[in-house]
Amino acid sequence: MSSEGPVVFVVDDDRSFRDALRRLLTSVGLSVEVFPSAQAFLSSPRRHAPGCLVLDVRLPGLSGLDLQQELANTDTTLPIIFLTGHGDIPMSVRAMKAGAVEFLTKPFREQDLLDAIRHAIDRDRVARAERLELAELRRRYDLLTPREQDVMGATVAGLLNKQIAGQLGTSEATVKEQRGHVMRKMQAASLADLVRSASRLGITPAGSGPTPPR
Amino acid sequence: MTTEMRKTGIDVIGDMPWGTHVCLFYETKRDLLDTLVSYCKAGLESQEFCLWVVAEPVREEEARHALKQVVPDLDRYLADHSIDVVSAGDWYLQDGTFDLRRVMSGWHERLALAMARGYAGVRVTGDTAWLEKKDWKDFCEYEETLNESIANQRLAVLCTYPLAACGAAEILDVARTHQFAIAKRHESWEIIETPGLKQAKAEIKRMNVELEQRVVERTSELTAVNEKLRKEILERKRAEEALHQARGELAHATRVTTLGELAASIAHEINQPLAAIIADANACLNWLAADRPDLDNVRAALAAIVNDGDRAAQVIARIRVMLSRSSVAHEPCDLARIIREVHPLIRPELGRHGIMLETSLARDLPMVIGDRVQLQQVLLNLLMNAAEAVRDVPPQRRRLMVRSTVEERDDGPWAVVAVEDAGVGFKEDEAPRLFDAFYTTKPGGLGMGLSISGSIVDGHRGRLWATANQDHGATFHFALPAMR
Repeated sequence: MSSEGPVVFVVDDDRSFRDALRRLLTSVGLSVEVFPSAQAFLSSPRRHAPGCLVLDVRLPGLSGLDLQQELANTDTTLPIIFLTGHGDIPMSVRAMKAGAVEFLTKPFREQDLLDAIRHAIDRDRVARAERLELAELRRRYDLLTPREQDVMGATVAGLLNKQIAGQLGTSEATVKEQRGHVMRKMQAASLADLVRSASRLGITPAGSGPTPPR
Repeated sequence: MTTEMRKTGIDVIGDMPWGTHVCLFYETKRDLLDTLVSYCKAGLESQEFCLWVVAEPVREEEARHALKQVVPDLDRYLADHSIDVVSAGDWYLQDGTFDLRRVMSGWHERLALAMARGYAGVRVTGDTAWLEKKDWKDFCEYEETLNESIANQRLAVLCTYPLAACGAAEILDVARTHQFAIAKRHESWEIIETPGLKQAKAEIKRMNVELEQRVVERTSELTAVNEKLRKEILERKRAEEALHQARGELAHATRVTTLGELAASIAHEINQPLAAIIADANACLNWLAADRPDLDNVRAALAAIVNDGDRAAQVIARIRVMLSRSSVAHEPCDLARIIREVHPLIRPELGRHGIMLETSLARDLPMVIGDRVQLQQVLLNLLMNAAEAVRDVPPQRRRLMVRSTVEERDDGPWAVVAVEDAGVGFKEDEAPRLFDAFYTTKPGGLGMGLSISGSIVDGHRGRLWATANQDHGATFHFALPAMR
């Protein structure tokens, strides 16, 4: 897990507003990075700290909604808080449907923005933690041999060792040993733990089921 | 030409016009000399050529002598022929007979000569004591002819008749053939008017009365017509003022409508600095709440607040000007400033549709006379039309250009502002109707923008026209004469 502090990215074409927002967020102890356009933000190097994006809906060139779409197409799951000069309902519906955290109308209450930012950062932090956890599980799963993966699939489906041995055409003792490897490699403390991991990895209980997502 | 009055030197007559033909009846030589000396003196003093035809009992020498008594310069006058004293025998008679045509042409020759020599005219006096019975009839004919022919000449003739030689018939003949007669009665001179003169005078009097009456009538007619005209002028002036006011109000109304269309964009333009102000103010509060406040940061934020407050106030001031005034001003206007002032009103609307706005301003653009707000309105209308025209074209064509140039025309320099777009343009058959009221190619358009713009530019004695661009879109131009 990264130990970097959260960063708020601000994209707004109005310089005086951009600077004011930077001062406000700095004054409450947040790290802020500001960009005058969507393109400038996209071409900046990605950071691995949790954070959120405060985005003006109307931007010259690539609009705020365009940027949201662009980010959704990549792996980045940066939560977005939209700002607008005036309440534009169809636009806010589109933004929220596309996963925006909040849609605020300028001028907004400080607390509303700070709450939204806190909420967004928390959400990002959780998402990042989940993503890291999933990656770890996948790394562990990749350590299993194909036969061990089969045994794991059958085990989480609730089959007994004897049933598994029959299904795989091997001895019960072999299955027991392989199951021990699975528990160790997957760092599962119990069967329930292993089932939870399998579920996170999307492994369906059927032994011949689809391969887990990568 | 003969209305000019001459002094006769004869008290009872006073002044006479050119063309006067009068007869004098005398009893004594003394009376005759006194009168004629005075008559000739007055003529000489008025730069007239004088001809004195003497007859018995006065001789030429006597006449000259008598004249010399009152005209000291007489010798000089005689020497340069300003006055000739001749005997009746020499003048009227040749070979002892009287010839009417010869005497008449003699007068005209004298007159032509006198005029050529620069005299004001010819003054004549002729005595008729030489007349014999045989010549009387001819002479009467002569007098009658003279009476008619001198009317329009710079010629005055005084004929003298000895009363003793005249019978009643002769007196009547003489009186008839002259305009009027003078005679000495009871020791004083009197004017004896002829019936013709009396009749003429009566006629003149009657005509004068009639004329006066007609003048009165005509004057009252004219007064009535004048009054009517004055009223019509007043009404027209009122109608013009009403039209002027209505135009101003219509322009104002469309301005309000235009701003209404822009309201959402303009709200954004005001919200932007407001949001910045609130954010900065909150930042200040946060900093000031710290144990050791960072005053540098606070100061920077406060300076930004002041700037943003100004910015919002300017937008509002511009809108207020456009909303408030419906009367039309006539003041010096700087078109470059007008272009700059319209910018913040239209910019958010353009930004919303991803439209770029460029400007190219002439450095020496002359000032024009007019209404700043109305001219802003024209530019705003043209820009909104242009924005509408590029809304649905590919993004690289969504750009507008405002260009100002100076044009030298026959009547001096003109300032020209052009708004170019690369939008949908207009079809050739639409061109003549573009500036008509209620004509629109836009689904939601009222069709007033260009019509109002046209009438505003007309009101500034300017021109508004459109041209199609070579590749894409249209250019709308308005030109105004430079202020003198």
